[in-house]
Amino acid sequence: MRKVLFVPFLIAALLTSGCAPKTPQSAIEVVELPSADSPLIAVELMFRVGSIHDPAGKEGLAALTGLMLGQAGTAQKTYKEIIDALYPMASSFEVGTSREVTVLRGEVHRERLDEYTALLEEVVLEPGFSEDDFRRNKEELEAYLTNTLRAASDELLGLEAIQDVIFAGHPYGHAPQGTVQGLASITLDDVREFHRQHYTQVNLMLGVAGGYSPSWLEGLEERLASLPEGTPSTLELPPPPTVEGREFTLIDKPTDSVGIHFGYPLPITRADADYYPLMIANSFLGEHRTFHGRLMQQLRGERGLNYGDYSYIEHWPNPPFTSTPNPAVPRRQQYFSVWIRPVVPSTAHFALRAALHEVDRLANEGMTQEEFEITREFLRNYSKLWAQSLATRLGFLMDSRFYGMEYYIDEIDRHMAEVTLEQVNAAARRYLSADAFRAVFVTADAEQVAAALRADEPSPMEYNAPPSEEVLAADETIEARLVEPSSVSVVPVAEMFEN
Amino acid sequence: MPHRTIPALAAALALCLVSAVRGADIFPYEVHETKLENGLKVVVIPFDSPGIVAYHTIVRTGSRDEVEAGHSGFAHFFEHMMFRGTERYSEDDYNDALKRMGADSNAFTSDDRTQYYIVGPSRELETMMDIESDRFRNLEYGEDVFRREALAVLGEYNKNISNPFLPMYERMRELAFDRHTYRHTTMGYLADIRAMPGYYDYSLSFFDRFYRPENCVLLIVGDAEPEATFEMAARYYGEWQPGYEAPSIEAETPQVEPEEATIEWPGPIRPHLMIGYHAPAFSDTTTATAGLDLLGQLLFSESADLYQKLVVEEQWVDFVNGSYSDHRDPYLFTIYTRVKSEENVPKVLQAIEEHIAAAQAEPVDADRLERIKSHMRYQFALGLDSAASVAFTLSGYLSMTGDPESVNRVYAQYQAVTAADIQRIAGEVFQPERRTLVRLIHPTTGAAGGS
Repeated sequence: MRKVLFVPFLIAALLTSGCAPKTPQSAIEVVELPSADSPLIAVELMFRVGSIHDPAGKEGLAALTGLMLGQAGTAQKTYKEIIDALYPMASSFEVGTSREVTVLRGEVHRERLDEYTALLEEVVLEPGFSEDDFRRNKEELEAYLTNTLRAASDELLGLEAIQDVIFAGHPYGHAPQGTVQGLASITLDDVREFHRQHYTQVNLMLGVAGGYSPSWLEGLEERLASLPEGTPSTLELPPPPTVEGREFTLIDKPTDSVGIHFGYPLPITRADADYYPLMIANSFLGEHRTFHGRLMQQLRGERGLNYGDYSYIEHWPNPPFTSTPNPAVPRRQQYFSVWIRPVVPSTAHFALRAALHEVDRLANEGMTQEEFEITREFLRNYSKLWAQSLATRLGFLMDSRFYGMEYYIDEIDRHMAEVTLEQVNAAARRYLSADAFRAVFVTADAEQVAAALRADEPSPMEYNAPPSEEVLAADETIEARLVEPSSVSVVPVAEMFEN
Repeated sequence: MPHRTIPALAAALALCLVSAVRGADIFPYEVHETKLENGLKVVVIPFDSPGIVAYHTIVRTGSRDEVEAGHSGFAHFFEHMMFRGTERYSEDDYNDALKRMGADSNAFTSDDRTQYYIVGPSRELETMMDIESDRFRNLEYGEDVFRREALAVLGEYNKNISNPFLPMYERMRELAFDRHTYRHTTMGYLADIRAMPGYYDYSLSFFDRFYRPENCVLLIVGDAEPEATFEMAARYYGEWQPGYEAPSIEAETPQVEPEEATIEWPGPIRPHLMIGYHAPAFSDTTTATAGLDLLGQLLFSESADLYQKLVVEEQWVDFVNGSYSDHRDPYLFTIYTRVKSEENVPKVLQAIEEHIAAAQAEPVDADRLERIKSHMRYQFALGLDSAASVAFTLSGYLSMTGDPESVNRVYAQYQAVTAADIQRIAGEVFQPERRTLVRLIHPTTGAAGGS
């Protein structure tokens, strides 16, 4: 096995043991974060198989296979028996499939570690693949597409749709949950075969954190080594789609407001040096769920357009309300995006123009020395809050292994110490653009919105309270900004995620 | 300035979690508490989070306090206004201070509280105390800013209303409550939100009446030294003048007949059901709250027979949950489910009624009860994994009673609850005439997609 015993300097004080267990022979990559005094143990199994491995026409197969481990019975136990066994210890197997990986993870109090471990091994090594579990899990995925995304959350709909649009025609181009038609075509035999092919030692990264003993880990790894060794499920990704012009997809559904997203693929990830200066520029532009991003200040604070406005240089994997990023959703290709939370329809055109204006302004004018220093200091401190619990520290550590880099949270600190204003402004100029993007609107009356976009007429604002002179002056530029859409298409919501 | 320290169970913080599962008191950390002369309670909990502190201000005012007609949603709106600056620290200054320290900071409002939090570097504790005490004492904003912020609240309503939960919840409360302010949601009615820009003067009086030290609790968890923190709190908050005016909230009259309503959803969607039964107020001195929580587990946890039947065996629903959430006044035990097809709705309702009837007819067996109690204890222990999570956990109890000991008292009640208690509470709460049922359907297509 390839084993990493890891002591990030930020959390070194928490660790009391640095002894690596005896190394049994396996092809499993093991990542350790021991903390001998902790009464909790976090376990994460990251399989290098995600929705990019879904066969064409069977979109959703990776996610469904994941659920057939994490939310299903085994060869010996029904799903109810698994739940009943986990219930008194208040533990669970949380399973999630993203574009690149499927993660099965959980936490347990060390008093119940042996019972939990036995269940975990049984779930991973002896899945039951029953028809009843298959039907339930398949319907869960389908209902997520048809009843949650299409019907019950305009924001989740927009957040998924912008990815599908940016990466159309690419392995990243469908939701990890699949498509309605893809799911319909999946059989239980497909799941069995997918499992046989991908749930192997070489595809597995095993992470453990907390108050476990070396012998416990040794036993766990030894038993997981009964998975077939396999061959890596490495899939060479094609380059992301080239985005030229300004392409709009309007999702038509009955709703009272308009949610807006736009973005394009980025050629860098957190494993690249350029990511860190860009991280500062992006944080200044629109750090998620903070009040100090420029988009937030200009669109919400100065103009009262909506509830929130943010920008991203990585996929945002969390529910909208969470403030800091979660680990366990690593990707080899990322994208830049702006998220304008729902606005009233009469201001949608202006809100889009205002956000484009701010992206342009940052790319062209850059940040001042003071803005740079405050934002850099912010990120150095803020990023330390992302990994407060055992499970999140372990998750970020395993993600770092995925990216082939040192511990991400430490890397942020290291890069922030060295980065210069010139690098930040150069990164903003190079990677931020309002000229070429793909946009998603979640809106009612999409044909009317499409006509307005195509007409590209000025969209003056009407305020309920007079804004500052400075804002009014900027509005004159913003309201007349030409968007010049290169394409505008309308998609009824019922057709989203269909195939 | 008197203060008391609740003794710890063990010296080593991490090891305390073990005693959380086996010991007498569930809360495993030292709680240091004091009350300033103006009535502000300050609670400090040292926690092993080197360099990090969670700083919460709990205002024991929420939408429950919105007693004046036409002002639903105002407590939440006021939460927004609290970020609009003072004479000393403008909104930009406040945001800059938080940004410099790299804080995770925000606020939320519920029926019973409005809570403001900062998680950030412990070396910045004094800055946190400076900017927080300043805005709680000296908030100042103009009418233009006020009117603009009302639009952000409208934006928040618009983002929430695309989820069926909010309209169902609005309707449920309207039907279940006639007098008490729990009749409206914390978000408030759309009409009231649209009228908010006209209530500038009212907002000033809202601050004056409710944002007072004796109505607030300061909770600091993490890398903080209690005595020094108390001294700092006295310096920064000591001049804050008391003057809290408790609102006069009408008591609810008992519901005497079942209520029912149907909401038509504009797009295709599977039927949703929400059921509410009137339930008693939070109590840490009786088995009422603890018994309801255990009843929720008995009937609606993943290992419950009802959950297994509906989700796993028959597969009639996508999800089902049911629980009591702590409230200062009598509230509701709420059940929520999404049914896979319209023809399964009667069967689902019948199954829920049958399992409730079974809980009323027979005491839960001893082994099952012990498994539920075990679940509750381990769930608590697993949830205390950071300063932020410890603060959030304890703040819920502080908002109910203002007393950090409540958490230990409630968990002691969990241990004390008997099978007979749960059976009795099931009988008292799940009465047909005290039930409200709200359905959400799409009238033309019934279910959306799938079986």
